[in-house]
Amino acid sequence: MLPNLKVENLSSVRSEKVIFDNINFEVMPGQNIEIIGSNGSGKTTLLRTILGLINQDKGQILWLDDNDNYNKFRTFDCFYQGHQLGIKNLLTVYENLQLTKNSIGMPQEEIYKLLERVGLSNINDFAANLSVGQRKRIAVARWLLKEFKVYLIDEPFSALDDKATLLIEDLIKELNAKGCSFIITGHRPSNILASRMEI
Amino acid sequence: MGSPPLFYKWSSKILPWLSIVSILILGVGLYWGMFYAPTDYKQGDVYRILFIHVPSAILGQSIFMFMAICGFINMIWRAKISGMMLKSAAPIGASFTLLALVTGSIWGKPTWGTWWVWDARLTSTLILFFIYAALIGLHSTIEDKTKADRAVSILSIVGIAIIPVIKKSVDWWQTLHQPSTFTITSSPSMSPDMYQPLLICVIGFYLFFALLLTLNLRNEVLEREKNKNWVRQLFGGLS
Amino acid sequence: MMQSSISDWLTIILRRDLIIAFRRSSTYITPLIFFLIVVTFFPLALGPQESLLSSLAPGVIWIAALLASLLAVETIFSEDFRDGTLDDFFISLEPSFILVFAKVLIHWLITGLPILIASMIAALVLYLPFESFIPMIFSLLLGTSFMSLLGALGAALSLGRSAILSAIIVLPFSIPTLLMGTSVISSSLINQDFSGYLMIMGAMLAIGIPGLCLLTVEALLLNYE
Repeated sequence: MLPNLKVENLSSVRSEKVIFDNINFEVMPGQNIEIIGSNGSGKTTLLRTILGLINQDKGQILWLDDNDNYNKFRTFDCFYQGHQLGIKNLLTVYENLQLTKNSIGMPQEEIYKLLERVGLSNINDFAANLSVGQRKRIAVARWLLKEFKVYLIDEPFSALDDKATLLIEDLIKELNAKGCSFIITGHRPSNILASRMEI
Repeated sequence: MGSPPLFYKWSSKILPWLSIVSILILGVGLYWGMFYAPTDYKQGDVYRILFIHVPSAILGQSIFMFMAICGFINMIWRAKISGMMLKSAAPIGASFTLLALVTGSIWGKPTWGTWWVWDARLTSTLILFFIYAALIGLHSTIEDKTKADRAVSILSIVGIAIIPVIKKSVDWWQTLHQPSTFTITSSPSMSPDMYQPLLICVIGFYLFFALLLTLNLRNEVLEREKNKNWVRQLFGGLS
Repeated sequence: MMQSSISDWLTIILRRDLIIAFRRSSTYITPLIFFLIVVTFFPLALGPQESLLSSLAPGVIWIAALLASLLAVETIFSEDFRDGTLDDFFISLEPSFILVFAKVLIHWLITGLPILIASMIAALVLYLPFESFIPMIFSLLLGTSFMSLLGALGAALSLGRSAILSAIIVLPFSIPTLLMGTSVISSSLINQDFSGYLMIMGAMLAIGIPGLCLLTVEALLLNYE
């Protein structure tokens, strides 16, 4: 099996300041990478650089394509969840799941099932009235809309109670079994199976 | 001269020559225009303001073109120096444009009897000044200088695309509202005695711009690279 | 496996944003009211003489339309940027300028379109002759669309900064639109041919859609660094 993504020698400098330097890792299908660092250590910048939102200063990011070659250009969709969860306050819980790109063509019942799975029953409430934990559950439900080869999740375990933490750990395990990989960030090591690195 | 330290060294060598040549040519042109060129039979000596007005109007436009080219290079190749050039050229361009407006207005008083006339040329120069102001304003609001350079690059490209449209539409606007009566510049039958000093003045202004730009750019380079080793070495380790 | 095409996604973005816009009615009512208030100011300031107002009408309507269309311009991307929805535009494999175009289209639907409708009321109260209604509508249609494009670029460049900044940096660039737009209506008032102006406005729009959308993408990406 070939890694879906290879990060080689990646460095980023912003206005004379080194954000991160010489990052190397490979993402094998079904395996996870956890990036540990304190606030402002450049975790988010690293994720965004991998996705091509920000240009790197050195090094390269190589993506596997359908012919088993490595390219600088991504040929498959990734799932990215930033600090902001991409939840619209003026949409209901259900609409927040339904009106996204990944739910195109998905029947209503499936979406209801997903919401049930992550423990959201108030599907017609506006997202504005939800707690942080509940918003996070909507975001997590989106992981299951489609299967992605690589998920890049910025601090999935921050501000969560034990139940929600267990839920997310379960989901990651389940998606790992299907060959999906996670690149996650956090302040301290989580319980999921992953190769860890500090920046 | 792609890298800032290289530019700095290269410009140190060229600066004395550039200063002498530009001030010399500018001096000759202005002196010729002010004292030797013949008096205009219609306007008298007032017309001599043309030797400042026309070159600064030309410079105002040329500098914008220059900025757009810098902006383009900055967007495509991300060359740091092109962004700094763009930033350093903007206030110079705005100043020349303002000079053209002020001299145009001073010229207007004796010829038209008012300080301001909505003449097509003056109007489009005024709009050009507003665009310069927008570019400078945008740059000053973005703290990260490289980011600010790129933002201004984008806007300067829009500017260079829209300036011809502005000129054309101002022309049409004028013919629609008031049939053109009298245009001050580009009278077709300018005598060579007047044309030659004007040409020297224009060249002098261009060289003067090159001088100002080099000086401005050197400051910008030092300001941005003040924490780099080469700057520290240059100033004997002071920080 | 279900292959989602870009048009499906565009439909989703349009639906989502229009639902949100309708739930927050101020988004489309504010520009409308602003436009009508500015129009009302002119008779109040200059006096209600019919001949004066009808000759000033093209300019008044256009100034009000320009200002109103720039009023809400900073909202085009600010909310999506803050809540993280904008990230999706640049992470997907679809060309992001098409998605930016969708946002511009939405902005036009909630500001340009109401202005277009309100302009007929404005034309009535400013005594603009009926023959000039059609040219006015066409010029506003092309002009407000271009303003939405230009406004999007301004919004992208000043994302997260003061709301007025985006309007200020865009205003000098809107002058050709103002000149052409008023010329269309003024020419129709004196029975002159105005198709030339409309064609230039159309050409500006045709170049502006790809050109300004691409530059807007560049400007938006600056905010991620």
